[in-house]
Amino acid sequence: MALTFSTIDDDESELVLKLGGQLDALSASELLPTIDKLIAEKRKLIVVELSDLELIDSSGVAAIVALYKRSRAVGTKLKVVGARDQPLAIFKLLRMDKVFNMA
Amino acid sequence: MPASLQYRDLAVRCVTSACHLVGRSAGDVANRDTSRLELQRTFDAAFISAFSEIFNNIAIHAYERSGEGGLRLELTPHDDHLVLEISDNGKTFDLSAVPAPELESLPEGGMGIHIARACLDELKYTPGPPNRWRLTKYLRAEGEE
Repeated sequence: MALTFSTIDDDESELVLKLGGQLDALSASELLPTIDKLIAEKRKLIVVELSDLELIDSSGVAAIVALYKRSRAVGTKLKVVGARDQPLAIFKLLRMDKVFNMA
Repeated sequence: MPASLQYRDLAVRCVTSACHLVGRSAGDVANRDTSRLELQRTFDAAFISAFSEIFNNIAIHAYERSGEGGLRLELTPHDDHLVLEISDNGKTFDLSAVPAPELESLPEGGMGIHIARACLDELKYTPGPPNRWRLTKYLRAEGEE
């Protein structure tokens, strides 16, 4: 299953990045142009919504971590929400559920 | 199959089907209680997570993303565990030399083997050629022997 992603503008300062399918070593690079654009916009908040994400691997996690670090560097807050099943288990295993407040 | 990331999804489907054969042959799945089904979902997710990382390792490191070369999967489902043996003819690898990632520093790499080890009961690697990986996981609740 391929990666699907879309952005939804909540308002000028907030944006939802919705990911679905598989975020992995093959597909993570597809996100890079979108990440570059979001960072350049310097939003107040980016919400990464993962309820449709079926599978993530270490490369996919690395893409989210890179987005988190780059967001923080430009003063943008990042929230990761909606993860379930395999993706949630991986974030918990890597103790990133706490970093991203994924309760 | 070709050891290329484009084929990983196909391989994951095969491994997922094998996961579904573990511990499910003796009875009707519909009759299992929800805790058992949850245990099986957790097992599937963990095994697929581990396998995905090992597949990546072979495609990206052993074959250096060349898309050339192949790997062979041998799946052996048992009543209470699954064994997956993978062989490849790519560059050899020193599994014992892979350090645990420093998770506190939010690493952007070096997490694959950590994930595979954490998701399995046993991860073995024998350098080749052919290189041989052996992934073993038991279907049991945490703390259950």
